Amino acid sequence: MKNVLLAVLSFLLLLSCGNDDADLYEEINEQLELNVPANFPPMAQDISYNYPTQKGFELGRKLFYDGRLSADNAISCSFCHEQATAFTHHGHQLSHGINNLEGIRNAPAVQNMAFQSEYFYDGASNSIEMLSIAPIHNPVEMNETLEGIVAKLKQDKEYVRLFKQAFEDQQVSSGNVLKALAQFMTMIVSANSRYDKYVRNEGGVFSQQELLGMQLFQQKCASCHKTDLFTDSAFRNNGLPPNPNLNDKGREVVTGFETDRYKFKVPSLRNVALTAPYMHDGRFGSLESVLNHYSNGVRQNETLDPILNQNGTLGLSITQEEKDAIIAFLKTLTDEEYINNPLFYYKT
Amino acid sequence: MKFQIKYFAAVLAAVSLFVSCNNDDDSAIVEGTHGDAELFFDNGVAGDALIIGNTYTNSNGESLTINRFNYIISNVVLIREDGTEYIYPKEESYFVINHADELQTVHLEGVAAGDYKKIRFGIGVDQQRYLQGETAQQSFWDLAAANDLTWTWSTGYRFINFEGAFTSTAGTEAKPFQVHQGSNTATDNYREVTLDLPTTARVRENEQPSIHIKTDINVLLDGDTKILLQNNLNGAGTAAAIMGGQNLIDIAANSLKMFTVDHVHNGAGSHHE
Repeated sequence: MKNVLLAVLSFLLLLSCGNDDADLYEEINEQLELNVPANFPPMAQDISYNYPTQKGFELGRKLFYDGRLSADNAISCSFCHEQATAFTHHGHQLSHGINNLEGIRNAPAVQNMAFQSEYFYDGASNSIEMLSIAPIHNPVEMNETLEGIVAKLKQDKEYVRLFKQAFEDQQVSSGNVLKALAQFMTMIVSANSRYDKYVRNEGGVFSQQELLGMQLFQQKCASCHKTDLFTDSAFRNNGLPPNPNLNDKGREVVTGFETDRYKFKVPSLRNVALTAPYMHDGRFGSLESVLNHYSNGVRQNETLDPILNQNGTLGLSITQEEKDAIIAFLKTLTDEEYINNPLFYYKT
Repeated sequence: MKFQIKYFAAVLAAVSLFVSCNNDDDSAIVEGTHGDAELFFDNGVAGDALIIGNTYTNSNGESLTINRFNYIISNVVLIREDGTEYIYPKEESYFVINHADELQTVHLEGVAAGDYKKIRFGIGVDQQRYLQGETAQQSFWDLAAANDLTWTWSTGYRFINFEGAFTSTAGTEAKPFQVHQGSNTATDNYREVTLDLPTTARVRENEQPSIHIKTDINVLLDGDTKILLQNNLNGAGTAAAIMGGQNLIDIAANSLKMFTVDHVHNGAGSHHE
C-alpha cells in the first residue's frame, strides 16, 4: 500500500514537473484591468489580440526604457518620450536620435494610444503593435532593426526569462518585442485631469475664467480637437507656412497624394500645458504663440483646412481676453496622476 | 537467368507504372485524410524568362534592367468543383517569393484530400492580419525583412519589391527605379486573385500536386493602366520611385492579371526541386 501511494505521489510529481513551464505562464501572468473612462469614446484599436497582462506590460515598460533598442545602445524610447512631460521631448523642437542626429518632427505625446486609429503626424502607422517599427528603424532616431534587437536581448538571461513569463510561446522574437511595447502603451491612459473630474462630477471645480475658456474652446477649437480625446484624428493643414529648411510634406509622405501636402495629424490637447514646444516641427514655444498663430498667422495654401478659411477670412477670431481664458481651460487638461504614475516609470 | 530477371524487372516496372497511373486517376478521396501541395511561381516578363540583370523593353517605350523581384503570397484557398473551399490556415498562409534567391515554391502541408479546380490567393498582407499585429509562431516580419519586403517609415509590408534601372529613350543614361507596392494608412492595396486550374489538382495522403503558376512582372507597369517610370522621377531627376498615391492603386489593379496557371503536375514527390 505504501509503495502504491509512493508510486502515485511520484507520478503526480512527475506530471506537475512536466507541466511547470506552461503552468508558470498561466499562473503568474494575469490580465490587467483596463477600463474605458466614462467620458471617452470607445477604443479605436482592437486589443483583444494582445490584451495587456502583468508580465507583458512590465516587459514592455522595461523595453521602453532600454537603450538597446537603438543601434548604439544609448537611445531608448524614453529618451524622447519622458513621462514628466506627457512622454514628449521637453525643450526640443525636433527629436534627437543616435549620434545626436536631428529628426524633422517634434516627439508626440504617448497617452491614450489604444483610443487612436492612426499614429505619428503623418499617419505612418495605424496599428498600436506595428507603430514601434518606425522610430526603431528611422536612421536619425534609433537606427536599429527588430532582428538586431532580438539578437541583443537573447544574450541577456533576464530578458529570456521575462519573455518566457510574458508570452505563451515564450520566445524572444520581433513579434513579442512589438507586442510587449504595445501592451505598455495600451496601459498609458490619461483620464484624470481636473477637467475629467469636472465633466464626470468627481469633484473637479472650475473658475469663472476656466468655464469661459471651455465654452470658447467648444465654439472655436472643438471641431478639430473633438471629444474628450481632444482630437478627431484627422490630418489637416492648419495654415503654418512650411519650414523651407525641413521641407516636410506631412501626410503626403505616407499617402503619395498631393492633396495631403502639409497636412498633419490633429494632436490631442491632453496635458498640453506640459508638452511645449508645439506643432509638428516644434516651432512655437508657448500656448500664447499657438493661439496667436490661429488668430493672426494662418497662411493661405492649396490644402489649407476650409475651417480656417471662412469666405476669405483666414484663421479664427479670438480676442486677447478669450485667448487667456482658453489657455486657462487648457491647463485644466493636465493630469498629475498620469505624469506621476509609478506604474509607467521603470526603475533601473 | 540474369537475362530473364532483367526482363522480368522491366515488365514489372512497366506494369507497376501502369497500375500506379491507373490507380492515381481513380484513387478515391478518403474523408479526413490530408496531403501536401505546392505552388511553383515561374517569374517572367511578357513571355520571356526573368533573368536578373537582363534588359526588357515594354510597350511604354521604356527598357528595364531588373535587379530584384520579390513578393508576398498569402491567404491560399483551394476550391473544389462544387465551389466548396479548403482554406489554408491563415496564420501559416504568408509566403515570400524571391526570384534572385530562387525562392519560388510555396509548400502547403496538411491540405484536405480533394480534387481542386481553382486556387485563390492574396498578393501582400491583408488589413485584418496587419491590424492583428505579429503572430509570434511565424515571425513573418523577420522573413519579410530578410527579403526586403518590409516598410519602416510607414509601418508595414512591401507586397511587391521590383527594382532595377531603366532608360526611357535610346541613348539616355540608365537611372535606378524602385517600385514598392503595399498598403498605407490611406489606401488598402491588398488584392486577391482566383485562377482556374487547367487540370484538376489531386491532393491525397501520398499525392502532392504542383501547381505551376506563371507570373508576368510586365503587367505591373505595362498592364491595363500604363505607368511610366520617366513620369515618376525624383526632384533631382536621378531616380524613379513608386511607393505611394494613385500609382499603388493602379499597380494593385494591374496585378490582378499578373498570374496564370500554366499546368498542374499530379502524383507523388516534388516537381520543381
